[in-house]
Formats: sequence, C-alpha cells, structure tokens
Amino acid sequence: MLQYQFRWDTIGSNLDFLLSGLNMTLFISAVTLVLAMLGGLVIAVLDMSRFRVLRLIGISVGEIIRNTPILVQLLWVYYVLPIVFNIGIDAVTALIIGLAVYQSAFISEVYRSGIQAVPVGHREAAQVLGLTTLQTFRRIVFPQAIRMTLPPLAANFVQLIKYSSLGSVISVTEITRRGMELSASVFRPLEIFTFIAVVYFFICWPLAMGIRMWERRLANR
Amino acid sequence: MGVTPIIAADAVTKRFGTNQVLTRVSLPVSEREVVCVVGPSGSGKTTLLRCIAMLERPSEGQILMQGQVIAAAEGSAAITRAAHAVRPQIGMVFQHFNLWPHMTVLGNLIEAPVRVKGMSRSAAVDIAHALLEKVGLTDKRDAYPARLSGGQQQRVAIARALAMSPKVMLFDEATSALDPELRREVLVVMRQLADEGMTMIIVTHEMGFARHVSSRVVFMDHGETVEESAPAEFFGSPKTERARQFLKQFED
Ligand SMILES: Nc1ncnc2c1ncn2[C@@H]1O[C@H](COP(=O)(O)OP(=O)(O)OP(=O)(O)O)[C@@H](O)[C@H]1O
Ligand SMILES: [Mg+2]
Repeated sequence: MLQYQFRWDTIGSNLDFLLSGLNMTLFISAVTLVLAMLGGLVIAVLDMSRFRVLRLIGISVGEIIRNTPILVQLLWVYYVLPIVFNIGIDAVTALIIGLAVYQSAFISEVYRSGIQAVPVGHREAAQVLGLTTLQTFRRIVFPQAIRMTLPPLAANFVQLIKYSSLGSVISVTEITRRGMELSASVFRPLEIFTFIAVVYFFICWPLAMGIRMWERRLANR
Repeated sequence: MGVTPIIAADAVTKRFGTNQVLTRVSLPVSEREVVCVVGPSGSGKTTLLRCIAMLERPSEGQILMQGQVIAAAEGSAAITRAAHAVRPQIGMVFQHFNLWPHMTVLGNLIEAPVRVKGMSRSAAVDIAHALLEKVGLTDKRDAYPARLSGGQQQRVAIARALAMSPKVMLFDEATSALDPELRREVLVVMRQLADEGMTMIIVTHEMGFARHVSSRVVFMDHGETVEESAPAEFFGSPKTERARQFLKQFED
C-alpha cells in the first residue's frame, strides 16, 4: 500500500466511458421513480380500499416486497419472469421493473401516511358543508397530503440512485457496471471505485441535504 | 308543539360496538329556537350533534328536517336524496375550528358556495366579505388560518358555515379550545346570531351563555336527556338531583 502508485489519469482518460454510465444511472433512477410513484398509488389505493379482498391483496403485495431482498427480486425479474411468461426481457427493462416494484411498496406507505396525517376534522368540515367525497379528496386532503409527501418522494429518488447500482449484477451498463468493466481491463480498482463512490456521494449528499432543509421548512410552517 | 320542528332528533339511539352512547334521545327544535345542550363529559352531547349533522348514523331512530327523514338506521334512496338536499342547510362549528390550512380565509369561505352551490366566484366573494364584516375580520381575508388567533379562527369557521346560508347552526363546544380571554369574541358572534333569529343547537360548558341566550336548556347524562326546561328554571331550580350535582361544579 505504501508503494502504491496512484494513477488518477486512468479516470481522466476514461471519463467519457464512466460518465456514459452515470447517464444510464440517472435515466434509470428517474424513469423508475415515475413508475414507482404510479405503482405506489395503486398499492395505496388497494391498501385503503373499502373492499376486504382488495385490501388483502394490497397489504400482501406490500409485505412481500418489503420483506424480501431487492437483489433477489431483481434476479427474479431478470431470470424467472422470462421463463414464466415466455418472453424476453432485456437487462435495463428488468432493472427498471424490479426497482419500480420494490420502491412502489415504500412509496405507497409515503402516500398513506401523507393522507392519514390530514386531520379527520378537515374532512368532516367539508362533508358537513356538502362537498362530495371526491371534491373533499381533491380540494382538501390531496393538497395537504402532497406537501408531506414530496420530501419523502425526493428521498426515494436518492435511494433509487444508489439501488440502481445493483443493475451491475445483471450487466446493465450504469456507472457501477462501467467501473467494473474498466477495472477489468486496466486493473485500477482503487482509483476507479473511489471515483465512482465520490460521484454517487456528490449527487446524493446535496439532494439529501436539500430534502432535510425542505422538511424543516415544512415542519416550521 | 303545533308546528313541525325545523330539525328534530327522534328517539335516537347510538351504539359504538357494544357501547351505547345515546338512548332514545328526542330533541325537536323549532325555528328561531336556541337550544343549549349541557351535561358532563362523555354524556353523548357531541355524538348527538354529530348524528344531527349527519356525520354519524343513528343505530335506531331518525333525524328529521322539516318533517322529512334525513337520517335513519336503515338507509334508503329517498333518505340519501333528502340528506343530500338539506345538507347545506345544516351548518356546524367544531371545537377545533377545522379550517383548511392550505387555503386563505377567503378561500375557506368561498369553497363550499362555489363547489356545492355552483355559485359564481364573484358572488361567493361578495357574500364572504359581508360575513367577514359581520364577524369583524375583514382585514384577515387573505391571511392563512395559521396566522390567526384561536378566537379569530373560530369566527372564520362560523362565517364559513354561514356562507352556505344554513337554516340551522350546530355548535360543539365552540369556545372550549380557546383561552378564556378569546372566548368572548366568539360568544359575541354567537349571541348576535341568536338575536337575528338563527335556529341554533349549542353544546357548551359556558353556563352564563346558556342562561342568558338560550330559549331552552337540555341536560344530558349517560346518553339520555334527563331534564329539559327554560334557562331560568333550569338554573334557578333544577328538577333532578343529577342536574343539581352537575350545576354545583360551576358555582364559585
Ligand atoms: N367514534 C367513536 N367510537 C367509539 N366510541 C365513541 C366514539 N365517539 C364517542 N364515543 C364514546 O361515546 C361516549 C360519548 O361521547 P361524546 O363525545 O358524545 O360525549 P360528550 O358529551 O361530547 O363529552 P365531552 O363533554 O367530553 O365532549 C364516550 O364514552 C365516548 O368514548
Ligand atoms: Mg363533546
């Protein structure tokens, strides 16, 4: 270690290659967030449904997803789904599906707690004044819930950026995979993986700090 | 009573699970009457008001508005229709105001007239202005509820209910959440409403208000109406031992 010769120029000369992986990372995280927000909505609606069967489905799906490792879910989507449904799924699609399903289960909880944080009295006041259930949700509950939901959603985005590195296992060419590939050809794991860690950090950290400030501002209102 | 009561609870029983909270409570209220409902904590006052406001459905008995059933243990299409039609005519003021915090005072006031009655925005704003003047808060029109004192919030809540031009106003301990020095401003507005002839059912611990403003006092205990009389009579010579016990705690 003492004699180690750092060769940071490895990074410089392969920057384009590595950053193309970063593009992929951000693309996957963004697409997945949008899908997970929709998926979370579906699970949340099931969870809060008036019908027992739907509630049971929503809750079961949520529990299964939250209580199995995400890596196993990804491998399952990539290797098992194609066999079960006799279809071909490319690695990027598999990663997006796997991450979106996983994150949906958490985002549904975010929605649910946002809605439940709106005091019942606000809804009852609307009801007494004659607003319909739909109007009450649209005008009274939703605008209040969304404020409480946005910071946790942003936090989910940070998590997705980190989780997308798991795509490297199924050879999605996001930034971690690019690092593995480069490392295999130039044998400079120390510089490469340090650089990659730093890149993740400087994307995730400012986001996380921003979210924390945002939450504090909301709490002080 | 010869005339049909404007609103009435008719033999209403309410159970939550096995817990019976109201037992055959009947409360007919005539137009322009101000009925104060008093009684110890847990006696079912809020539950009765919530049944009348159609926030709870009676387990037995029914709620009538001008002789028409608007809530009953067994629902029916006719009842649902009647309930829908009279809903805007019953205003309710809650202990904790329940203003919508993401809307300004004006937003709170015009929401229901615009959405429920289909009133034009400008007509609703005109009504809102008149009501804010009435409750003395014209300068707060663009403020958010969180910026107002409790007394101001409650006055806005009263104005919000009045914006639907209700025929009956229900008050559930409208001053209980307020500091003593803020109660008066709310009671003044309530008294003014009473003087104008609004029909009101008021659940309250303000015995002075009940004594001087109400046309009738109803004393509830353990989910039953125990005593019902004119205020002078109720406060001067209560008929039952339970009412005497209850009134003792307000002597000083
Ligand atoms: N939604 C509910 N579910 C179960 N029990 C309830 C519910 N609402 C009220 N109760 C019970 O009904 C009883 C009467 O409550 P209610 O709130 O009507 O009393 P109250 O006379 O308004 O009391 P207070 O003066 O404390 O406001 C209480 O024992 C209460 O626990
Ligand atoms: Mg009460």
